[in-house]
Amino acid sequence: MIKSKLRILSLSLVALLVITSSGLVFGAWYLKQLEDKVVEKFEGRKWVFPSKIYADSYFLYVGANLRSQDLVEKLHRLGYYETQSAPKVKGEFRTAAKPGQIEIYLHDFDSPTDQFKGVPIRIALQGNVIAKIEDSLDGKELTYTELEPELITGLYERIWQERKVVKLAEVPPLVIKTILAVEDERFFHHYGIDPIGILRAMWVNLRTRSWQQGGSTLTQQLVKNFFLSDERTMSRKIPEAAMAVIAERKYSKQTILENYLNEIYLGQRGSQGIFGVWEAAQFYFSKPLTDLTVGETALLAGLIRAPNRLSPYRSPDAAIKRRNVVLAKLLDDRIISRKQFDAALREQLPRRSLVKVTNEGPFYVDYLRRELEDNYSNSVLTKEGLRIFSSLDLQMQRMAERALVEGLKKLEAAHPALRRKTDEDSLEGAIVVLRPQTGEIKAMVGGRNYGKSQFNRVFQAKRQPGSVFKPFVYLAALMHGGQSGTIYSPDTVINDSQFTWSYDGQEWQPHNYNNEYFGAVTVRRALENSLNSATSRVAQDVGIRRVRDVAHRLGIQSPLPAVPALALGAAEVTPLEVAVAFATLANSGARTRPLAVKQVMDKDSKILERRDVRPEQVINPQLAYAMNQLLKGVLDRGTAAAARRMGFTRPAAGKTGTTNDYKDAWFVGYTPDLLAVVWVGFDGPAKIGLSGAEAALPIWTEFMKNATASMPVIDFIGPALPPQTGDSKCGPGETGEPCADPTVPIKASSGT
Amino acid sequence: MLKKTARKFIASREILGSVAVLVLAMFGCAPQPPYRPPAPPVSTARVPPAPVAPPVKESPRPTLPQDSKIREQDVRTKVPPTPPTPNTTTESTRQPSASESAPVLPPPLADDSSLLAKITPGTSPQRAASLRLTDEGRKILDAGDPSKALSRLEKTIVIDSTNAYGYFYLAKAQYRMGRYKESLNFLDIAESRLGAEPFWLAEIHALRGENYRAQGQLQRAEASYNQALRLNSGNRTAVDALARMQADPPTSQSAIK
Repeated sequence: MIKSKLRILSLSLVALLVITSSGLVFGAWYLKQLEDKVVEKFEGRKWVFPSKIYADSYFLYVGANLRSQDLVEKLHRLGYYETQSAPKVKGEFRTAAKPGQIEIYLHDFDSPTDQFKGVPIRIALQGNVIAKIEDSLDGKELTYTELEPELITGLYERIWQERKVVKLAEVPPLVIKTILAVEDERFFHHYGIDPIGILRAMWVNLRTRSWQQGGSTLTQQLVKNFFLSDERTMSRKIPEAAMAVIAERKYSKQTILENYLNEIYLGQRGSQGIFGVWEAAQFYFSKPLTDLTVGETALLAGLIRAPNRLSPYRSPDAAIKRRNVVLAKLLDDRIISRKQFDAALREQLPRRSLVKVTNEGPFYVDYLRRELEDNYSNSVLTKEGLRIFSSLDLQMQRMAERALVEGLKKLEAAHPALRRKTDEDSLEGAIVVLRPQTGEIKAMVGGRNYGKSQFNRVFQAKRQPGSVFKPFVYLAALMHGGQSGTIYSPDTVINDSQFTWSYDGQEWQPHNYNNEYFGAVTVRRALENSLNSATSRVAQDVGIRRVRDVAHRLGIQSPLPAVPALALGAAEVTPLEVAVAFATLANSGARTRPLAVKQVMDKDSKILERRDVRPEQVINPQLAYAMNQLLKGVLDRGTAAAARRMGFTRPAAGKTGTTNDYKDAWFVGYTPDLLAVVWVGFDGPAKIGLSGAEAALPIWTEFMKNATASMPVIDFIGPALPPQTGDSKCGPGETGEPCADPTVPIKASSGT
Repeated sequence: MLKKTARKFIASREILGSVAVLVLAMFGCAPQPPYRPPAPPVSTARVPPAPVAPPVKESPRPTLPQDSKIREQDVRTKVPPTPPTPNTTTESTRQPSASESAPVLPPPLADDSSLLAKITPGTSPQRAASLRLTDEGRKILDAGDPSKALSRLEKTIVIDSTNAYGYFYLAKAQYRMGRYKESLNFLDIAESRLGAEPFWLAEIHALRGENYRAQGQLQRAEASYNQALRLNSGNRTAVDALARMQADPPTSQSAIK
């Protein structure tokens, strides 16, 4: 009996020993796991930094056309706050002082090449023109100024955390003292957990019978933010406490404090979370930490408890109440004097237009992201905090989106046959807008509804350009002349009648629109009226290979088969290619590469990449000028004359395009400073049954009327005449171009 | 008798002049010989009348030995040095005779480099803003920050696409950044738009020469410098570059490049 009892006892002891030792082993293993996590977080990369994409900056100069409502809209989008009194702090503006005068206190901004310090400025408008810009502080006249670029979107995974990391030494002592006073005044006296603080919090909570205070130390809060969810349960509290103790054992108080100041969540701007004290100072006060006043410091420290509930933007009263509580605590602790306390109580709350980043220009961002992915991995793009400066003009982007969506709706309303039952196969369109001199892509709309289809027709859809291709035929004719010896000029008479082009044992017969033929016509008229037969005859005479070469030289990159149908645009190209090719003509024969990404900076403001304007003179400027004059006729008298009737009156050149089977409708048109290509059609094989003038031109006109409204009216200019120095070589470079009066049509078969 | 005296006088002046030159050369400050382009200039009918320039004192200047150190001079008031030519003599005391002397270059053009001076009451606001910005870009460039200058200068052609000076300084910024091909491309555009302004056309040719020289294309560089001098004999870049080339003649290998 005793023996069996002893046996049971020994077994129990063994079991106890096993359980205890297992528990110890497990406990040790668990603590080791926690320690590894803490070490990894402290010593590995602690934070991810989403990349941000910016639109182009907004340049204001004396003499620039500017509608005050456009500027006010822009300022609101940039987060500026309109006041009734003179702007006193960065981020405020006033329009009410005098008619035609806008006062702005500019934000600070770091661009890739400059660090802009926010100064107060005053802009005087005369009508819609900037008459004067001056520094409000000293009255000094400025010839120009620049508004910071708008944030288009961020590239991030799951959560958009906005943060700039600072060293402890960069944080003003008052900020540190204030945060410690309100969050963990015994920070320098505990080992990660604070039993006294916990007891005090329990007492307060019991007394008020509500959750008024937490006993968490800064270290515990940091650990919670690093690893754990926001739930207040014991199962979370235990590892939190354990990790806090581990962190305190392994790292100095200074390291923990520095991490806390950079990690703490302090608010929300749309989808962007504001983390860390530096970012919060920027978000709430538009200033660096070192410039914060006592009142601002108290407000910021007070936000930690409930950043959104106590936000001065959402609940000014609650924010003031909380700030004053913090100030009282600072006074009690003798961190500030009575005088400072009184002054801080009188400080006004910061105000800001709460603008959400709404992921504008999604097609543009997709295109830009594709360009970036050649050089940066997805991980780098979403975690390394790159700042990507693009050439996007957000105002133009909105105009383009509106013009396309409204234009397509109007087409469907006017032509019921275009309506479809489902969105998947609805009528589609695309617009791309370029600045010819720089190649900057100012706007891009790759489809009607990004939410429904992300297929970007601007650069992913290859479509037949139809008659949009004809200018390449005529340019080749002006450059090279005909194989028959014909020297082409805009006034050369060509034959517009039915004919058959025999090649490689095959025959090809072009047909005019409505099978209408005009007999003897000038080159000018053939192009203005887009005559297929006359154009094909010219292409045959010039040689289709030369036509193809000219198209490639201008910027078409897609393969182009050297077959007769190429002359009428039978080869497939993208709208972006068409834009680049015609931009070369608009830019006096200088081809530029399309630019979406301009600069990329890392989070420390180091420039990683810069894509400059890279023009290359590929066509004699004289020839480009002649083509621009010919294509102006298309709008003034030809197939695009409807643009004039619709109210677009400034000097512009362009070309309509319709494919033989009526599947694609195009219009490409440009002023000397802005080019837009519009394509309309179905993604599938369905026909739209409308010409480019009917379907694409109205959209183009609507867009260009708005987009150029604030631009000066200028016409295309011809190249300047070089002086004769005997052996001088006229024209660009050393290509040996003949010198001639640019106002006279080209009569020599020249070209580069 | 009179002729004899005159000849003696001229001979004595030649000897005195040669001695003076030798003395000056020893101290590294000899006067520079006149520039002699390899090809004779022809009609300048389309060049606007030469602006008033300080008169150039045409005192006889003997050719320097090729290894002489060439002092920088104000080329706007002095005649540029001779570039290396196949027939250039190395005799320091030899006087070029009237029959041998190079065809006379047009006098240097007045300095037209000030962009702000081009802003008049009739200038369009866009052009005025663009010119001011170009001038600022130029200053940044001169201060040695071509990257920053490039950003400014790109804006000049956005504000006013017809501002050819913007293209010129963009070319200069690219050159300073060592992007010679890009610089030459900008120069092509600038040339097509500044063709009627000989001062600027000369600047373009000179900068083109600099780009070619940097690429090792010395013959093309020399041709560009000469072209610049034919347009403006006072083009300092071309004068200095040709002087440098004269001081350090290209090797046969580099000349082939």
